[in-house]
Amino acid sequence: MEIRIQGVSKHYQSEGKAVKALDQVELNIPANHIFTLLGPSGCGKTTLLRCIVGLETPDEGEIRIGDEVVWSKARGINVPPEKRGLGMVFQTYAIWPHMSVFDNVAYPLQVRGMARRDIDAKVTAALRFVQLEGVEKRSATRLSGGQQQRVALARALVAEPKVMLFDEPLSNLDAKLREETRKELRGFLSKLKITAVYVTHDRVEALALSDSIAVMRGGRVVEMGSPQKIYFHAEHRFVADFIGRANLVPATVRGTSGGHTMVDTALGPMLCEPRELAPGSEATLCMRPEFMRVSAGTQAGAGNVVAGVVESLAFVGEVYEVEIRSAGQLLLARIAPDAQIHSGDAVSLHVEPAHCLLVAR
Amino acid sequence: MNSSRSALTHALIAIVGLLTLAPVLMLVLGSFSQGLDAFGHFTLAKYVAAYTDPALLHVLGNTVVFVLGSTIFATVLALVLAYLNTRTDIPFKFLFGVLAIVPMMIPHLLFSVSWGLLLNPSNGLINGLLRNAFALQSAPFNIYSLPGMVFVEGMLNMPVAYLIIAPAMASFDVSLEDSSRVFCAGAWRTLMRVTLPVLRPAILAAVVLGIVRSLASYAVPRVLGTPGRVDVLATYLYEMIATGYSPDYGKAAALGMSALATSVLLIWAYRVLTAESGKFVTISSRGWRPTLIALGRMRMPLFAAVALLSLLVIVLPVAALLYTSFVPYSMVPGAQAFAQMSWRHWAEVMADATSLLALRNSLLLAVVGATLGVLLSLFIAYVIVKLRTRAAALLESLTYLSFAFPGIVIGVGFMWFFVQTPLYATLGALLIGYIATYLPYGVRPLASAFVQVHAHLEESSLVCGASPMTTLRRIIVPLLIPGIVSAWILMATMFLRELTVSVVLSRPGSEVLAVQILGFADDGLWGKLSALGIIVILISTALVLLAGVLGARFRAAHGTAA
Repeated sequence: MEIRIQGVSKHYQSEGKAVKALDQVELNIPANHIFTLLGPSGCGKTTLLRCIVGLETPDEGEIRIGDEVVWSKARGINVPPEKRGLGMVFQTYAIWPHMSVFDNVAYPLQVRGMARRDIDAKVTAALRFVQLEGVEKRSATRLSGGQQQRVALARALVAEPKVMLFDEPLSNLDAKLREETRKELRGFLSKLKITAVYVTHDRVEALALSDSIAVMRGGRVVEMGSPQKIYFHAEHRFVADFIGRANLVPATVRGTSGGHTMVDTALGPMLCEPRELAPGSEATLCMRPEFMRVSAGTQAGAGNVVAGVVESLAFVGEVYEVEIRSAGQLLLARIAPDAQIHSGDAVSLHVEPAHCLLVAR
Repeated sequence: MNSSRSALTHALIAIVGLLTLAPVLMLVLGSFSQGLDAFGHFTLAKYVAAYTDPALLHVLGNTVVFVLGSTIFATVLALVLAYLNTRTDIPFKFLFGVLAIVPMMIPHLLFSVSWGLLLNPSNGLINGLLRNAFALQSAPFNIYSLPGMVFVEGMLNMPVAYLIIAPAMASFDVSLEDSSRVFCAGAWRTLMRVTLPVLRPAILAAVVLGIVRSLASYAVPRVLGTPGRVDVLATYLYEMIATGYSPDYGKAAALGMSALATSVLLIWAYRVLTAESGKFVTISSRGWRPTLIALGRMRMPLFAAVALLSLLVIVLPVAALLYTSFVPYSMVPGAQAFAQMSWRHWAEVMADATSLLALRNSLLLAVVGATLGVLLSLFIAYVIVKLRTRAAALLESLTYLSFAFPGIVIGVGFMWFFVQTPLYATLGALLIGYIATYLPYGVRPLASAFVQVHAHLEESSLVCGASPMTTLRRIIVPLLIPGIVSAWILMATMFLRELTVSVVLSRPGSEVLAVQILGFADDGLWGKLSALGIIVILISTALVLLAGVLGARFRAAHGTAA
C-alpha cells in the first residue's frame, strides 16, 4: 500500500524551547517498496515513523495509508495505532519477556479474536518463514539477539499487514551478525510483497536494503531516490557527504565543454558530470575516494589530472587510505596494498569526469 | 488515545485530591471555626487557645528532644551498619538484611509495649533480673522517660535509614576513595573527607525522613511517655480530643497545622534531596567490586556488637511478648515463672468477642484495603511514570503529600470529613483513611516496577492491534506482577497494624487490632495483649514470607526477565 504524507509537522517542548522534530514533511512512499528514512540522530526519522504508526500525533498535516486517512489535522481524524493494522519491529525488539516465543508471535492474531487452529497454522508458517522453528515453547528472552530479532519480525508479519515499519532493528546486533541479518532481512522483504518503511542512521544498511532512500535532516526530507542515485548523483552537499566518504572541494561554474560542466577549483579547472548551473554560480565538487586513481610521479594527460604529495598512508585492511596534499586541499584516495607509494612521494590523481559530481553548496 | 489518557490523569487527580486534600481542608476549616463542627462561625480563638497554652512550651521541648534524639540515633546506627556491611569484611552479612527487614514485621505499638515490659521501673523483666543479680535497691533503667523513648523510637527508625543509606554506600564509586588513598590520605581521613561528603544527600534524606516519622510517631510516646507523663506533640494532641470532659477538635486542629506544615516542608526537602542524590552518588559500571576493608582484630568484637543489636531489635521484644503471654502476671523469669506458664491468656483472647471482632476487621481492612490501594496505585504509577505530563507531575505531588501526614492530625481532618457522610464510625471510613494515608507505600514499588517496563513493550502491543485495555491486561500487568505483589504485601501489613489513624477514627463496632491492643495496655492486661500481639506478628511475618516465595517463584519462571 502506498503511504502519502502531506505537510506533517511536529513540535516538541524541550527546556522551554520549541524544537521542530518534523517540519512540513511531504513524502510519497510507493507501494511494495522497501523505503528507508536515513539521517543523523535527531533528524526526525524516528518521529516520522512513529507518526505513521500512530504512536505519536503530529501537530499539522495529513497521513494516508492506502486509501485510508489515518491522521488529519484539518478533518480531525486520528486512527489509534491498534486500528491501523500495521506491523512494526522495534529497535529493542520489544519481545514480551513473560510470554513464550509462540505467544509473542500469536499475540496479534489472538487480540484479533482469531480461532485457535488458524492461529497455530499462521504462527507456525511465520516462524518457518523467519527460519526459527522448534523454539516455540521457549521463553523469548532466553534467545540470542539475532533470534529475538526474528521473533520480532515474525510477530510483525504474522497478521499479514500491508505495511511494515522498522525502527533501527539491526542497531543492537554486533557487526558480523548485523551484516548477516541485513542480507536475510532483504531476502525476507523481497519475498513478502509488502511496503516496508525502514529507519536507520547507517548508510551501508540503507544502501544495501532499500529500493528508495529519503535522506532527512532537521525535520525535513532533503533528498529522495534510489540508492544509486543518492550515492552517485546526490544533489545536496549534505547528502553526498552523509551517504559515503567524499572529497568536497569548493568550485565555481565556468561553463560547458564537450558535454561536461567545467568548473574552477583550487585544484585547477575540472570537468564534471553535466549539471545545469549558470556560469559563475558557486557549487561543491564531490569526488569519492574509490574513484581517485593514484599514480607515482607527475604525469600529464587527458581529463582531470591533479598533482600532489602524499602526506600520510593508513593501512585499513583491504586497501591503504592515502591522504594527498594538493594546492592546500587534503584529498583522500584508496590504493591497492601492494602499490609502491610512500609518504612524501609526488603523485598524480586521475578522476574521470563521470565521477566528479557537482552538488549544491 | 491521548484524550483517554488525559481523562485518566484527571480522574486520578480528582480521586487522590479528594483523598489527600479533603482532610487537610477540613482541618483548616475546623481550626478557624467556633464549636465542635468544621463549619461553625469564623474564629481565631482556637489558634489563640492552642498557642498560648502554658503547657505547650514544655511539650515542644520534649518533642524536639524526642524527634532529633531518635533521628540522630537511628541515622548514626544505620551509617555504622551500612558501612560495616558494604565496605568491610565483617562475617555473617545476612544478619544485616535481617536487621533491615525483620523490625518492619513487628508493629511499633508492640515493639514499644515489649520494651515497656522489659525495662519499666516497677516490674520490668530486665530490671527485675538485674535487681536480683546485683541486689539493687531500685530499678537500674526507666524506659518511661525521654531517653527511653528516644532509644526505642531510634531503633524503630533505624531500618528505614539503613535502607536509604546502604544502597547509596553500595553503589558508591570506589575510585573516588581510591584516588584519595593514592594521595596518601589514611582510611579514617578518607572516610571523613570523601566518603561521608559524597553520601551527604543520602544521609540528609535519612535524617529528614526520620524527623517526619518520629514527629508523627504515636505508638512510642503513647505507650512509653504517658506513664511517666512525658508528653510530646502527638500525645498532647490526642489528649486534647480524646480525654477530659470537653474534647476540643478545633484547638487540636490549630496546633496540628504546625506539625502538618513542618512535615510537608520536610517531605518536600526530602524529595529535592533524593532527586539530587542521583547526581552525587555515582553508580559505576557493572562487574565492579568495592575493596573491602579488613577489620583485623576488630572483626569479631564488631560482629558481636551487631549480633547484640539484632538481639535487642528482634529477639528480645518478641521473646518478652511471648513470655508475657504465657505467665499469669508480671514475674521475673525463673523456675517459679516457668512452672506457672499456661495458655490461659491465649484462650481468653480467643474467647473475647471484641478481640475477635478487631481481628476480623483488621484482616478485612488489610485484604480489601490493600487490593483497592494497589489497584489505585497501579493507575497512579502508570500516569506518573509513563505519561510525564504537567498533570502527571501534579498527581505525583498529591500522592506523595500523604507521606507528610502525621496520622493523628490527619485523622482529625478525616473525622470531620466522615461526620458529614454516612461512613462515619464504619469500616468504610477506616478503609478510605488507610488508603489515603498509605498511598505512597503502594505507588512507590509500582512506580519503580513501571520504570522497568520499556515503552516499546507497550507500544508494540498497540501496533499489534491490541486496545489500551488489552495491553494493560495482557502486557503491562503481567510484567508488573512482582511490583504488584510487594506493594500489596506492604500495604496489607501496614493496614493490619495501623494505629494512628485508627485511634481517631475507630468507634465501637469498628475496632481494629492496634486499637484493641492499646485498650489492653490501658487496662494493664499485658498477658492478653501479648497473646494478641504475637498473633499480629505471625500474620505479618506470614505475609512477608509469602511475598518472598511468590517473588522467587516468579523470577524462577521468567529467568532474568523484566
